[in-house]
Amino acid sequence: MRIWRHLLFALSSAWQSFWRHVPVTGAGVLSITLILILGGASLLLGHAFSQVLDGYKQRVSVISVSVADQTPLTTVEDFEDQLRLQPEVLSVRFVSKEEELRRFSEDPRNQQLIEQIQGNPVPAKIEVKVGRLGDVKKIDTLARHWRGADRTDPTDYQGDFITNMLRLSSWLTIAGFGMLAVLTVASIVIVMNTIRTAVYHRRQEIEVMKLVGATEWFVRGPFVLEGVLTGLIAASLALGLLMLAYRPFVERFQSELFFVPLTYDPRFVSVLGPDLLAAGVLLGAMGSYIGVRRFVRI
Amino acid sequence: MVIAPDFDSRPIISFQSVWKRYANGTEALKDVSLAVPEGDFIFLVGPSGAGKSTMVRLLIREEKPTRGRILVDGINLGPLPRRKLPHFRRKVGLVFQDFKLLPRLTVYENVAFALRVLGESRDAIERLVGDALETVGLANKGAKYPRELSGGEQQRVAIARALVPGPRLIVADEPTGNLDPATAWEIMQLFLRINASGSTVVMATHNREIVDLLRRRVVAIEDGRIVRDDRSGTYHEDLATSALRA
Ligand SMILES: Nc1ncnc2c1ncn2[C@@H]1O[C@H](COP(=O)(O)OP(=O)(O)OP(=O)(O)O)[C@@H](O)[C@H]1O
Ligand SMILES: [Mg+2]
Repeated sequence: MRIWRHLLFALSSAWQSFWRHVPVTGAGVLSITLILILGGASLLLGHAFSQVLDGYKQRVSVISVSVADQTPLTTVEDFEDQLRLQPEVLSVRFVSKEEELRRFSEDPRNQQLIEQIQGNPVPAKIEVKVGRLGDVKKIDTLARHWRGADRTDPTDYQGDFITNMLRLSSWLTIAGFGMLAVLTVASIVIVMNTIRTAVYHRRQEIEVMKLVGATEWFVRGPFVLEGVLTGLIAASLALGLLMLAYRPFVERFQSELFFVPLTYDPRFVSVLGPDLLAAGVLLGAMGSYIGVRRFVRI
Repeated sequence: MVIAPDFDSRPIISFQSVWKRYANGTEALKDVSLAVPEGDFIFLVGPSGAGKSTMVRLLIREEKPTRGRILVDGINLGPLPRRKLPHFRRKVGLVFQDFKLLPRLTVYENVAFALRVLGESRDAIERLVGDALETVGLANKGAKYPRELSGGEQQRVAIARALVPGPRLIVADEPTGNLDPATAWEIMQLFLRINASGSTVVMATHNREIVDLLRRRVVAIEDGRIVRDDRSGTYHEDLATSALRA
């Protein structure tokens, strides 16, 4: 019962304080909204980029080894077994000359070429799917030392591309985390300042509470709730704006940067929603918690 | 064998060789010892800067003694941990010269505030606040705001707020400092009634007429030391008695 009354007191007190000083709390809310939008937008972008990157990664994590014509089938099978024994290898598949030719000719880009060739000039292939992108190089080396490999063009390994891709990927991750860290610190500082102002405006009340024997957390509670309220309202605003802007933004992006396959993904918004609200509440709570610990002492 | 009750066995307030030096080096209290039995009414008098407010601040542990011990209701205030302070402060009703009422709250709400902070139920609050306002003579002013009241009435509200949780000790620092003599006298009557109903009252004051009229216990402080402690004293050292002693 007593806990319940304390909670009610804190809630109504936080609510009043929030609306009584709208110029201050409003500025806090808008700042946090902006930060959350930045955070949300960078998550959206990051999500899009990682989708694109994942597509590429899927493609380049399969290395195909060209088999020289006249290589005995047993030699091929021995090499396949050897590959399967490598811990990095997920799967190995043999593609015969005929199958490869069929695949080659199915590609509309090769139509003109197909009409000019006679016989079957394409080599048989061994397609090796590798678990981690960084390990593709090892399989490439292995294949190049295999005597059954085609001399002129043993593999389709694209070392530079993979290196760049891995570098870009880790760089994006670092940049993402760095950005989130900066935004987190900024919003905590902003909430702390809102709380500082609220504490200043209520100093009389705080003094009286102290005189009549309120506990420290009884006095601090309303301020923490006010911070949570700030975060919650800011997150709702940010979410609303992101939801409104997401689709037009993607469409604009697609027409101007057509080579990046950024797509509108409504599911992502429903994932982002709860995360954003949780982030708002958490940031508000952390900022105000640190704030009251610094500014409210009994 | 019958043991006679010894009312002085545990004073409600006891200062034992208390020294207080503020951070800036000011020696505000020097070797102050004082025992206040339960139910006593005591005036703290002395010139400005003598250390009266310092004693009040030490009593509610707003400040800690530099040396010596202070016991209030058996609690040793020096080593009292911060988290136990709120529970201790509830034992003491405080009244100040500047009332310290919340301007946005009505008279009723101001008094109820002391109980809401403690998490009392609405029913209990209604009953206790009603009683307290009755005691201070403001039963019909509950809906007014502090700014609509006279200074004396505002001080009554503050007294009601101090009384409402039922503390056994009331500490007042110049409660009549802002009031005209007639109003001051009314407020003083109120404190006397509170004392008569069993609460101990400690009051720092400059109000010479009242102190001289009431002839209660007077503790005089000068430059941080207790220079006089009379059972039924006056504001200044009684010229008649000092003449007799000479
Ligand atoms: N927070 C403080 N820091 C430093 N010195 C202080 C502080 N509070 C009071 N003093 C000093 O301690 C001495 C006693 O002050 P105190 O306020 O106790 O006097 P007082 O008897 O209440 O005076 P008054 O009648 O004017 O209220 C004074 O010299 C004062 O300047
Ligand atoms: Mg004083």
